[in-house]
Amino acid sequence: MTSSTARDEILRAVRAALPPAVDAPPAEYQPGTPSASDEDLVVRFTHAAVASGALVVASEGDPAVDAMQIAGSAPEVLSLLPGVASTIAMPTNPHALATLDLFLCQAAVGVAENGALWFATPDPIHRAALYLAERVVIVIAADALVADLHEAYRRINVRATSFGTFVAGPSKTADIEQSLVVGAHGPKELTVIISTARG
Amino acid sequence: MSKRAFELPVLTQPAPVDHAAAAADFNADVARTDWHDASLWFVRERRDRAAALVPDWEELRVRASAIKEHALTHLDDYLTQFEAHALENGMNVHWARDAEEHNRIVHGILEKAGARRLVKSKSMLTEECGLNKYLGARGIDVVDSDLGERIVQLRGEGPSHIVLPAIHLKRGEVGETFHEHLGTPLGLDDPVALTLAAREHLRGKFLAADATLTGMNFAIAESGGFVVCTNEGNADLGMSLAPIHIASVGIEKVIPRLEDLPVFLRLLARSGTGQAITSYTTHVHGPRDGQELHVILVDNGRTRQLAREEFWGSLKCIRCGACMNTCPVYRRSGGHSYGSTVPGPIGSVLTPGLDLERYASLPFASTLCGSCTAVCPVKIDLDGQLFRWRQHVTERGYSSKAKGAAIKASVVMFDRPRLFRVAGAIARLGLRLMPSAVARIASGAWGRTREAPLPGRESFRSWYRRERSGGKR
Repeated sequence: MTSSTARDEILRAVRAALPPAVDAPPAEYQPGTPSASDEDLVVRFTHAAVASGALVVASEGDPAVDAMQIAGSAPEVLSLLPGVASTIAMPTNPHALATLDLFLCQAAVGVAENGALWFATPDPIHRAALYLAERVVIVIAADALVADLHEAYRRINVRATSFGTFVAGPSKTADIEQSLVVGAHGPKELTVIISTARG
Repeated sequence: MSKRAFELPVLTQPAPVDHAAAAADFNADVARTDWHDASLWFVRERRDRAAALVPDWEELRVRASAIKEHALTHLDDYLTQFEAHALENGMNVHWARDAEEHNRIVHGILEKAGARRLVKSKSMLTEECGLNKYLGARGIDVVDSDLGERIVQLRGEGPSHIVLPAIHLKRGEVGETFHEHLGTPLGLDDPVALTLAAREHLRGKFLAADATLTGMNFAIAESGGFVVCTNEGNADLGMSLAPIHIASVGIEKVIPRLEDLPVFLRLLARSGTGQAITSYTTHVHGPRDGQELHVILVDNGRTRQLAREEFWGSLKCIRCGACMNTCPVYRRSGGHSYGSTVPGPIGSVLTPGLDLERYASLPFASTLCGSCTAVCPVKIDLDGQLFRWRQHVTERGYSSKAKGAAIKASVVMFDRPRLFRVAGAIARLGLRLMPSAVARIASGAWGRTREAPLPGRESFRSWYRRERSGGKR
């Protein structure tokens, strides 16, 4: 386990090495992101999400209807969306999701500057489903879009769950000759449903 | 034909790294060198476009630099804060003074659990520590899961770039490697098909893993959590499936607050690949149910670099790779020519701190053009540090004898105006009379691949005097 000698030696070496103290910058940061109407945010978010490789759908009614259309007849579906049923029983072990076709969930915040969606969960099965599923659908309410990452961090409580992630597009790689390939390890397709219905 | 593009320097060999000689080997293949150069410049241009879309880009850089400087000058506080909060979050925290201690801790964790199969995601720190070799010798099956890293692992090479590990390879070479190791059809070189073959192969490894090891992009002192950024989602698959998660991190990666994260995350991917953000930016604040989570805080020379007044700023690095993509020397010499885990400008200021004699050639692998400093998202004065390392190399007598003699000779000449004028006259005449093949030799390494221009017929000095005496300005 932790060797207290190593810890103490490293901390002693750090203290002996410390350069003259530099103050922290003031906590408040004005990001300079241009102000935006709600409509602007939807447009900006859509551009950024498409650039990240996601498919974007606008839904004016019940997003579950659009989600079911995307699901089609996929055999193995795990859904956290109200109104969309799972076709598999919730497993006790994440490995059981190895052949999952589709995972549907809702994001808490969407970021217009980069198309990222915040998904956090303490549930290890839901967490694994986000990466093991062949396709993923994430619903985001239009009024949960924010201009930039600074604002996003003000809206979320990172510490509340052991796991939380910003998702931007499907899994991808460009490790072979800089050719972009989608579906490196995780989902080959990410669809974002922007729900504009007023709840 | 050799399967390797060029021979790798063996990292455990104590012989000094000769960057120029290794770069000359790389340059022997002109077409590959041009292609490598263009591939990286393409990434650099993507970075420029992404940065231009952020109106507060320069303010972000200033702020990121200030946060890192503050964190590094209070590193003891932030490390102990991180440790206390990580323990509260249910993580195990280990400290490693050097690579050997780090590797021993990893092996101890695996051995205690009876784990034989380890899936890693990208961690330059474990490359630095030589972890794969250490564990391999002890019967652990180590699989690198980042596609680029898996490619170089199968080939028995190291990564040649910190973000694009296989940037030195062409698709045909990847195809040959996969044919040999993964059984893809001979001649298959389509990046999509090759990536999907790797996906199938690695999916099996993820599902069978007893343990996973990731790096960290940021460790957060106030919350005791950490962030891992990937495009592939490989770190996430590992963390979501394996019963044991080990996260190794250099002690310089600690940042004070959660609200610092957006500052760095807005810079990181834009600087590295030109993306607004990576596909996955995962925040871990504890093990999932039933999982063991171990954090290893590693020094391995970092406190020594922190103590160096001229070089501690290099520890601000967030490993985006922008300095490599922009560096004219890196682009035309390839990452392996540096003989260092981290190549390029940042590697050439970090690695000499480990063993100056061995890495004495690295600070000279630069034109000092300053492009690296201009793109660095945390404003490390890379060209300044490269220049300062050169002074140390020369003071300690590690630079080449020939270079020393040439500098001494030029000092003698520049000190004596008459001698300088005579030498100039001889050179102007001599270079005109010499056959160009001889002139190219006379102009040194620069002339090897270039036609030397003919010198002017008169010196600037005589031209200036003549113009002045003619009354013109």
